[in-house]
Amino acid sequence: MASPSDANPSNGNTPEQPESGSAPATAEGPERRGQVRLRRAAIMAVPATLAAAALAVLTAQGALGVSFEISGMPFTVTAKSLDGQGFEQFGDLDNMIKNSPNEGDTGGQVLVMTSAIKTATLDSLCQSVDLGGINLLIKAGSGSTKVTATDLTTDSTQLSGDATFGNIEIGNDASKLTKAGVQGKPGVFSQQSDTVHIDNLRQTNYATTAGVFKLPGLKLSFSDSGC
Amino acid sequence: MPENLPQQGNGPAFRRWRARRPFWGGLLLALGGTEILLTEKVSLKVAMHIGMQGVTGYLLPVVMMLCGLLILFSPGQRLFYSIVGILCTLGSWVTSNLGGFFIGLLLGIVGSCMTFGWLPDQEPRSERKRRKREAKTATKSELQQQA
Repeated sequence: MASPSDANPSNGNTPEQPESGSAPATAEGPERRGQVRLRRAAIMAVPATLAAAALAVLTAQGALGVSFEISGMPFTVTAKSLDGQGFEQFGDLDNMIKNSPNEGDTGGQVLVMTSAIKTATLDSLCQSVDLGGINLLIKAGSGSTKVTATDLTTDSTQLSGDATFGNIEIGNDASKLTKAGVQGKPGVFSQQSDTVHIDNLRQTNYATTAGVFKLPGLKLSFSDSGC
Repeated sequence: MPENLPQQGNGPAFRRWRARRPFWGGLLLALGGTEILLTEKVSLKVAMHIGMQGVTGYLLPVVMMLCGLLILFSPGQRLFYSIVGILCTLGSWVTSNLGGFFIGLLLGIVGSCMTFGWLPDQEPRSERKRRKREAKTATKSELQQQA
């Protein structure tokens, strides 16, 4: 077995000899077969693992948007006031999981207005979701420390309040937005502004994501009435 | 080399076919693509409507699958296929349910790397280890002689 292998030095990085894999001419005998050389595999495995880890970290930090499937249960969010720097808003489509019990006649899709805010401060945040008669209630930021969030996006079907915008642009293409670092689908109406201030905010949401969401004075409870 | 004798019942023809290509690498990559495809729930009609972003969710796992199959059936080009395969695998993290919820991503990465590291016509591993050890002891004794 040693004599034919002398022609093929066994350090891992030898460039392959001219062969076309499928060539049937393996004259050396049946005992010589293709094999994964570990050091050679590591040339790809190491950078690939690093890249995968980087993707995972970026996702965890919220720098990389990942689509997820919504539950289809709307929840209400209210706040006494919201202050934000870098604001975007555009239309979008959210998907529920297949055969979700909440899909009704919607086909599992909800048309939403996505609002993205680069950095937001909320006073007296309240969030409630109706679980069939009883409400899961989350309150935070009622004290002196306010709720803060970075890279906050909400997918809402209803939004009301008294709003003030600074440097607003209305009618942009959603794929060309710059103020909050989020883009929508091309060809969709959108608006963006440098600052936003909303008093007596009330939203019906289907999804909220944030890079960092700080909730000082968090209180979680069940209640008969929502927000 | 008892392990390399054609085993009974395994089909010696298939065994020889398998020995000439990065079989497991290609298979894992193709399986990874299939797994990611199976996790996709958005109907194709909606995906087409959304446009390029919606379609890439399907495109990348299909390319993964094709690369896996091509590695099996045209192993001469395996380096190219494994590189395209790994790029699509990594891309599927963003486009397709976090790479089919990790599973497809993992299969794809392992498969591509195995394909990349595969070399045809190798002597058995035990043989290689023995030769390496011999070489090491040879250099060691040489050094001792010099000292």
